[in-house]
Amino acid sequence: MNTLRRALLAGGCALLLTGGAAQAAAGPFDLAQLTQLLASKRSGEATFVEKREVSVLDRTVMTSGRLSFEAPDTFVRENLKPQRERVAVVGNMLTMSRGERSRSVALDSVPEASVIIEAIRGTLTGNRESLQKLFETSVSGSAERWSLELVPRDARLRAQVATVRVSGRQAEVREMQVVMPDGDRSTMTIEPTLGKPAGPAAAGSGAAR
Amino acid sequence: MARALVVWLLALLAAAFVTARSNYVADLSAFLPRSPSAEQAVLLDQLRSGVAARLVLVGIEGGTPAARSAASLEWARALRKSGLFESVNNGDNSQYEALGTFLFEHRYLLSPAVDAQRFSADGLRSAIDETVSLLGSPAGTMVKPVLLRDPTGETVRMAESMLPARAPRSEGGVWVSRNAERAVLLATTRADGSDLDGQQHAFEQLRASFAPYAAQGLKLVVSGAGTFAVASRAQIKHEVERLAIAGSAAIVLLMWLAFGSLRALAIAVLPVGTGVLAGIATVSLTFGQVHGITLGFGTTLIGEAVDYAIYYLIQAHAPAAAGSERGAGARRWIACNWPTVRLGLWTSLCGFVALIFSGFPGLAQLGVFSVAGLVAAALATRYVLPALAPDGAPGLGLRRQLGAATGRAAAFAPRLRWPLWLLGLAALALLLWLPSPWRGDLASLSPIGADALKLDAQLRSDVGATEAGTLVALSANDEAGVLALAEQAGARLDRLVAEGVLDGYDSPVRLLPSPATQAARRAALPEAAELRTRIAQAAVDGPIKAERLAPFIADVQAARSQPTLTRASLQGTPLATAVDAMLVAGRDGRPWRVLLSLQTGERGIAAERLRAALAGVPGAQVVQIGAELGALYSRYLREAMWQAGLGALAVCVLLGAYLRSWRRLLGVVEPIAAAVLIVLAALALHGAALGILHLVGFLLVVAIGSNYALFFDQLRHGVGGDPGASDSDTLASLALANLTIVISFALLALSSIPALYAIGQVVAPGTLLCLLLSAAFVRGPARGAV
Repeated sequence: MNTLRRALLAGGCALLLTGGAAQAAAGPFDLAQLTQLLASKRSGEATFVEKREVSVLDRTVMTSGRLSFEAPDTFVRENLKPQRERVAVVGNMLTMSRGERSRSVALDSVPEASVIIEAIRGTLTGNRESLQKLFETSVSGSAERWSLELVPRDARLRAQVATVRVSGRQAEVREMQVVMPDGDRSTMTIEPTLGKPAGPAAAGSGAAR
Repeated sequence: MARALVVWLLALLAAAFVTARSNYVADLSAFLPRSPSAEQAVLLDQLRSGVAARLVLVGIEGGTPAARSAASLEWARALRKSGLFESVNNGDNSQYEALGTFLFEHRYLLSPAVDAQRFSADGLRSAIDETVSLLGSPAGTMVKPVLLRDPTGETVRMAESMLPARAPRSEGGVWVSRNAERAVLLATTRADGSDLDGQQHAFEQLRASFAPYAAQGLKLVVSGAGTFAVASRAQIKHEVERLAIAGSAAIVLLMWLAFGSLRALAIAVLPVGTGVLAGIATVSLTFGQVHGITLGFGTTLIGEAVDYAIYYLIQAHAPAAAGSERGAGARRWIACNWPTVRLGLWTSLCGFVALIFSGFPGLAQLGVFSVAGLVAAALATRYVLPALAPDGAPGLGLRRQLGAATGRAAAFAPRLRWPLWLLGLAALALLLWLPSPWRGDLASLSPIGADALKLDAQLRSDVGATEAGTLVALSANDEAGVLALAEQAGARLDRLVAEGVLDGYDSPVRLLPSPATQAARRAALPEAAELRTRIAQAAVDGPIKAERLAPFIADVQAARSQPTLTRASLQGTPLATAVDAMLVAGRDGRPWRVLLSLQTGERGIAAERLRAALAGVPGAQVVQIGAELGALYSRYLREAMWQAGLGALAVCVLLGAYLRSWRRLLGVVEPIAAAVLIVLAALALHGAALGILHLVGFLLVVAIGSNYALFFDQLRHGVGGDPGASDSDTLASLALANLTIVISFALLALSSIPALYAIGQVVAPGTLLCLLLSAAFVRGPARGAV
C-alpha cells in the first residue's frame, strides 16, 4: 500500500515552471551552463496546459492551471480545469489539497514523488548537484533553444518514470514531458505570465544553494 | 535444638526450591499502582500490554549506503521468517502484496469516501475525473491496472486515510535516517512487554542473525522499551552479583578480624542467607514474580541480619562467665540480649509492614521481602545459632582492641552531645528553609543511561515513532460500541486538525470502521441496474466509456453482500497488529478500549481544549502521559511517606510500651531522629532529588538505628542484670555491626543503579550517625564507658 501512496503523491507532482534570464555562453552548451542560466531566475509564475496520453483511457486528458515557484524550495501547481486541485511543495513537505481534503507527507519518504519534484526543482533552481545525484543528464541544443533529458539513476525509480524531458529558451522552461515505462506520457506546455527576463545585472547572481 | 536445626534445614530447602523457580522481572510497571484511576488504567494498559512495549527500534550503521540497504532488505526477510516478530518494517513494500489484495477486496467497506452522494451520477463523474488525474504520472502505475474495477479511486482514498504522514525517509528501497548514516527498521516482538524472557530471546536472535552483516563491517544498534527492560534486568543482576561479591569479601575480612575463626565466619552468614532465601521465596509465592530491585535490596538485608549474628556470636561468648557449662552463653544471651534484639526486630517490622499495604506492587514487594527476611534471620539467630555455637564465637581476633577503642570513643562521645544537638537543629532549620528535596520521578528508578536514551530518541525520530504523549481513551462494553465512539471522537478531532490545532491522530477506525459505518457504506451502494444507469450519465464525454466499466459494477454488486469486518476477521493480516496497537480487547471484566494517539507537534495541546472538543462523546478521557506519570509517582511517594510516618509512629508506640518511660523513649528516639534530619539536610543541601527509594533507605536507618539506641539504653540502664557479659563486648558488637553496614551500603552508594545508589547514599551515613548519636546522647554517667 506504500507503493500506492507513493504513486498517489508523485501523481500530484508532474509539473513545471517558468523561464527568465539570458546569458551568453561560449563553447558547447552543457549542464553547467544550463543550470547557471536557470539559477538566475529566482521566482516566477506561469500558466500551463497539460496533455496526458494514457493507454487505458479512451481519449487524451487535458488539464490546465497555474504554476508558481520561488527559490530556494517552494513551488505550487494549481489545477483549475477540469477540477480544482493544488499541490504545494515547501522544503521536504508535500501538501495536496482538493476541496476540503488536504494531506501532507514528507517528500523524502516517497522517492517516486521526489524524483518528479526534484526534476523540476533542480531545473528551476539550476541545482546541478541535485540533478546529477538523481539523474543521468544529457543536454542538447543551445542556450537559445535547449533540451534537458533526465533518466533516474535508481533502477527502482526507472520502473516508475522512464524519462523526464525539459526544454526551453534561455532561462525559461517551456515544456516538460514525463514518459512512463509503459509509454504513457504527459506533456505540459508552459506560458510564463510574470516572468520578466532578468537583466544582465541579475544574471548569475541567483545561483541558489 | 536438633529439632530446630531440622526445621530450619527443611525450610531452607523449600525456600531454595521456590527461589530457583521464581520469575524475575525488572520492568517499571511493578512500581505502578494496583488500584489505578481511570486515566492510570489506560496508562497501565499501554505499558503492560500495549504495542509500545513490544516495539523494537533497529538501526544499521557503518559501510556504504548500498551495503546498508542490501543488508536491511535481506536481513528483514530473515527476521520475518524467524517467527519471533509479529512484524518487521523496513520500508520494503514487497511484503504487503497480500494485504493490498485484502484491502482492495474490502474497499467499499473501508473507504471513507463511500456514501450515497459518491454513487450519484455527479459523484461518479467527479470521482472518475479525480482518479484519471493520477494517470500519466507515477501514481498511475498503481491505479492503472485496477482502473476499470475501481474507477472512483476508493483504493487511493483508503491509502490516504490509513498511511501515516510522518513516514521515514526512503532510499534504495528501505527506510533510512534523515540525520545519520543509518538504515532503520521497526519490529514488533511477538512476546508481550511483560514477558522479559521472550523479549530477551528475540533480541538475542536478532543480534545473532546480524552476525554475517557485522562481518561485512556493518554495525547494529537496537533500542526500545523491551531492550531497556532486558538491559535493566541484566544490569541489575550483574550489579547485584558484583555487590554481593564485594560486600561478602569485605564482611568476611571484618569477621576474620573480629573472630579470627572461619567457623565463626561461616556461622555469621547463616542468618543473612536464611533471610535472603526466605525473603525471595515469600515474595515469589505472594506475588508470583520477584522484581529485580527487590532482589537488589537483598544485599541490603545483609545490613540488619549480619548484625543479629554478630550480636549473638560476641554477646553469647563470655570467657569470664562462671561455670563454663556448654550452652550457658546461649542461655544467657537468650535471657538478656534477645529481648533487645527482638524489640529491634519489632521496630524494624513496623517500618516495613507499612510498605506491604502500599498500593504499589513493587513497594509491597520490598515490604514483604524485608519482613519475611528479617523474621527468618532473627529466628535463625535465636534457634539455629545456639545449636551450632552454644557459646558464641570462640575466637577473639582484634575484638579486644575493637572493644577498647569503641569504649574510649563511647566515653568521649557524650562530650559531643551539644555540638551534635546543634547540628541536628541546624539540619531541621535547613530543611524548613530549603525547598523540599522530595522531587524524584519515576524515571529516576530506571537504570537506563543518557546515551541509551539519546539513541532511542534518535531512532524514534528516524522512524517517525514519536513516543505517545497525549492519548484520547474511549471504552465500551463491546467492539462495535467502542469503534462507534472512536468515530464520534474522530469527527471532533478532525475539526481540530482542520483548525490547525492538532497535527493529526491515529485511529483504529481508519483500518476497521464500526459495524454501523460499514453497514451505512454498504447501503450506499446501488444495485446493478441503477448503477449502470448512473454510470451511463456520468461517463458522457468522459475519458472512460461506460460499457468498459462492467468490472466496476460487478465488484460493487459483490460488496453489497460482503460480511461486516471485525477485529476477528483481520486475524492473520498485518492490519491486526496495527489495529491492536489502538484497540484493546475487553477481557476479565475490563471494557473494550480504544486509544487514539494524538500528534500535537512541538507546541502540544492543552488538555482543556481537547476535553472541550470531546464534550458529548460518552466517557472520552484525555490522558497526557507525562503529566499522568508524574501524578502517579507523586501519589506513590505521598502514599509511601504517609505509610512511613505511620510506621515511625508505630515504632514509637512499641518502644514506649516496652520501655515504659518517656525519658528512656526520648533517649532512644532522639539520636535516630537527629540522624535522619542530618542526612536529609545534607542530601537537600547537595541538591539531590529524593524519591521512593531514599524513603526506603530512611526506613532502614530507623530499623537499624533503633537497635543501636536500644543497646545503649540497655547499657545505660543495665536491663536484665547481664551478669558476666562485659559492656565492652556489647560495644564491640555494635561497632562491628555498624562497620559491616556502613561498608555494605557504601558499596551500594557506588552502584550505577539509581535504586541501589539511593538506598546506599542514605543508609551508610545514616547508620553511622545513629551509632555516633546514640553514644553521644546517652544521658547521665555512661555506665558503659570502659
